[in-house]
Amino acid sequence: MRVTSRMSFDLAQAQMMAARDRAVQAQQQVTTGMRVDHPGDDPAAAGVMVSQGIAIQRLDTIDKTTSGAQGEVQTADGALQSVSTLLQRAQDLAIQLGNDTYSATERAAGSQEINSISSQIVQLMNTQVGGRYIFGGNVDSTPPFDATGAYSGDAAVRQIEIAPGLLQASSIRADITMKGVGGGVDVFSTLSALSTALANNDGAAVRSSVTGINQATDQISSALTTTGGILSAFDSAQQIGSVAKDSAQKVLSAQSEVDIFKATSDLTLAQQSLQATLAVTAQSFNVSLLNYLK
Amino acid sequence: MGADLFSLLVQSGNSLGAHSAAMSVAGNNVANANTPGYSRQIANLTANPAVSSLGGAGVGTGVSLVNITQARDQFVERQMPNALAAQSRSQTESDALSALTALNPNLQGGLPTTIGAFYSSLQTWSQNPGDPSLRQSVLGNAQALATSFNQTANAISSARTGLDASISGKITEVNAAAKALADLNNQIQISKSAGGQSNDLLDARQAAVDTLATLTGATPYSDGQGNVSMALPNGTSLVVGISAGQFSAIPDPSNNGLLKLQLTRADGSPPSDWDGTSLGGTMGGLFGARDGALKTAATSIDGLAFDMATALNTVQQNGFDMNGNPGVALFNLPATSTGAASTITINPAVAANGRLLAAGTATPTASGDNGNVLAMIATQSQALPSGSSPVGTIQTIVTAFGTSSAQAQALAAHDGAMASNLQTLRDATSGVSIDEEMVNLTKAQKAFEAVSKVIATANQMLDTLMSIGN
Repeated sequence: MRVTSRMSFDLAQAQMMAARDRAVQAQQQVTTGMRVDHPGDDPAAAGVMVSQGIAIQRLDTIDKTTSGAQGEVQTADGALQSVSTLLQRAQDLAIQLGNDTYSATERAAGSQEINSISSQIVQLMNTQVGGRYIFGGNVDSTPPFDATGAYSGDAAVRQIEIAPGLLQASSIRADITMKGVGGGVDVFSTLSALSTALANNDGAAVRSSVTGINQATDQISSALTTTGGILSAFDSAQQIGSVAKDSAQKVLSAQSEVDIFKATSDLTLAQQSLQATLAVTAQSFNVSLLNYLK
Repeated sequence: MGADLFSLLVQSGNSLGAHSAAMSVAGNNVANANTPGYSRQIANLTANPAVSSLGGAGVGTGVSLVNITQARDQFVERQMPNALAAQSRSQTESDALSALTALNPNLQGGLPTTIGAFYSSLQTWSQNPGDPSLRQSVLGNAQALATSFNQTANAISSARTGLDASISGKITEVNAAAKALADLNNQIQISKSAGGQSNDLLDARQAAVDTLATLTGATPYSDGQGNVSMALPNGTSLVVGISAGQFSAIPDPSNNGLLKLQLTRADGSPPSDWDGTSLGGTMGGLFGARDGALKTAATSIDGLAFDMATALNTVQQNGFDMNGNPGVALFNLPATSTGAASTITINPAVAANGRLLAAGTATPTASGDNGNVLAMIATQSQALPSGSSPVGTIQTIVTAFGTSSAQAQALAAHDGAMASNLQTLRDATSGVSIDEEMVNLTKAQKAFEAVSKVIATANQMLDTLMSIGN
């Protein structure tokens, strides 16, 4: 081929520009650590980055939300266990003081203790987490139980998302547990009946109240089973969520991040090729017949 | 007439002229080594016929310059305009698309991140719907989402307006080049009819053809009378012989007020609308990017803003706010999706009062009722009227734009290689090699010196003859 002066200059120019472009791109990849900046760099990867980025954000938030709800349910669980202990004490008192060997004075003291148990249970059922009452269903801004044990909450069960699209109950129904809605006993009325029987020194009534207290204890146990179930659902959801987040993170990294070893070696290669191009170009400029014509 | 010393002196004088013409040609070539479109010229010398005979033998009469021709390869030159047009079109489109960063997947405050952040704030809110600070955070993220839609739409729209500015500039260049080509056709005709040689005019015409092809994708054709005319990609002539068509542009209300191309044809018929995307070259690339990938992206973003905000508004309006009233729209939108992304705002009433966000599903609203928040979260994965979820839609928009940009980049690389290959081939034939011209120059110089020596010798011989009588 006939090689002309412009060809060699144009070629040198094009090669230098190309080598510089490669070096700059390699440098950018190494310094930013990202393989894809503009969607045109890799359209499919850019799309995956968008969807996986949002998915990771969602899983992250679900994890935090679940932790928040977990705190509430754990507190509810603790409160119910205390209620259970208090009812156990009430039952003990009922069985003990049901024995007619106890005097009216001793039973009156028992009545006082039952009243105190009842108001402790009211306090426990008015437990707040982060300023919200956790036993009132959706009514979380006012105490669900008053001093007499009357319920002002609603029959709702709160729900949260524990995995994308998957809802999980995050509260128990205090109206069922404490008020016996749907066929149970009213814990507060049962206690108040026991207290009245003790105050009246009515041995038979005291003994008969044991059945009610047993039922109340069963209701609390059943609520504890529910909270236990909720907590274990949260646990497994968090574990699954963390695995899902890891794999989404892996997909995202694979698509968007550079392999740093490859990027570094690419950079070295690009720099060397740029150096070689510059050296060769400078040298080829010196070779001309003009140098020899005197 | 014999081969006498006097005629030797005369013919040597003529030969000196031929050799110095050859030197001039070499000198001109060297001087134009870097001139774009210049074709190397060749001085063609020929031996003069023998006119004298000495004892029956014909004795030659020296050398003369026949003509000066150009070294050109028609085969390569015919392919050049198309290659230049293709390269220019794809490069222009690729540059225009690469310049838009609003759809970068990692962009802080870009749509992918703000959509994610908005749903994230809903998710957090769902756990404690009565919390005023969580309501405020939802409002903040809704505001950021609306702003992000505005900014993305504005970035795309200013990219399109920017291309319009380039289009106006290129129209001037196209008109100038078309006029120049028609003028050159005319000058070459005049020069020919005067019997002159028009190498430099031919070079200039070739350069004008290349320029027009680069700008519009027009292809040259010969009209049989020595004129080079050019036809636009759909076959309409832009330049016919010595008359040139002219482009102009007026705002097009049906395309966001962007420029609409009009063509006044070479025959002078009144201007008519012209589809810019049908052009090749730089103009085609500009129109292609403006009304292709960028327009698609703008329309899709509008659609997403409208559909997504409508879905969220519907859920809001089905719920009940903290005061127990039916919810109101969270976003203010135009009646249709046109321009939705650039005009979407958060409803000022809700922005001013977080209690108006509808979290509840019943009235009177219990502060812990998050049923409507869960319904809002669910819109994240529900199909919009476009057939895909909000996340799926933004993913599709980014991928589709990326694909257009990557295709343009790949085409630009391919077309660039083709054009530069042809350019190399053209240079191989028509380009100036300085070394070669140096050899030509030296060759002409040596011949000049030799002929001078002949003159000196003939002179000496004449002197010898003259001195015989003394």
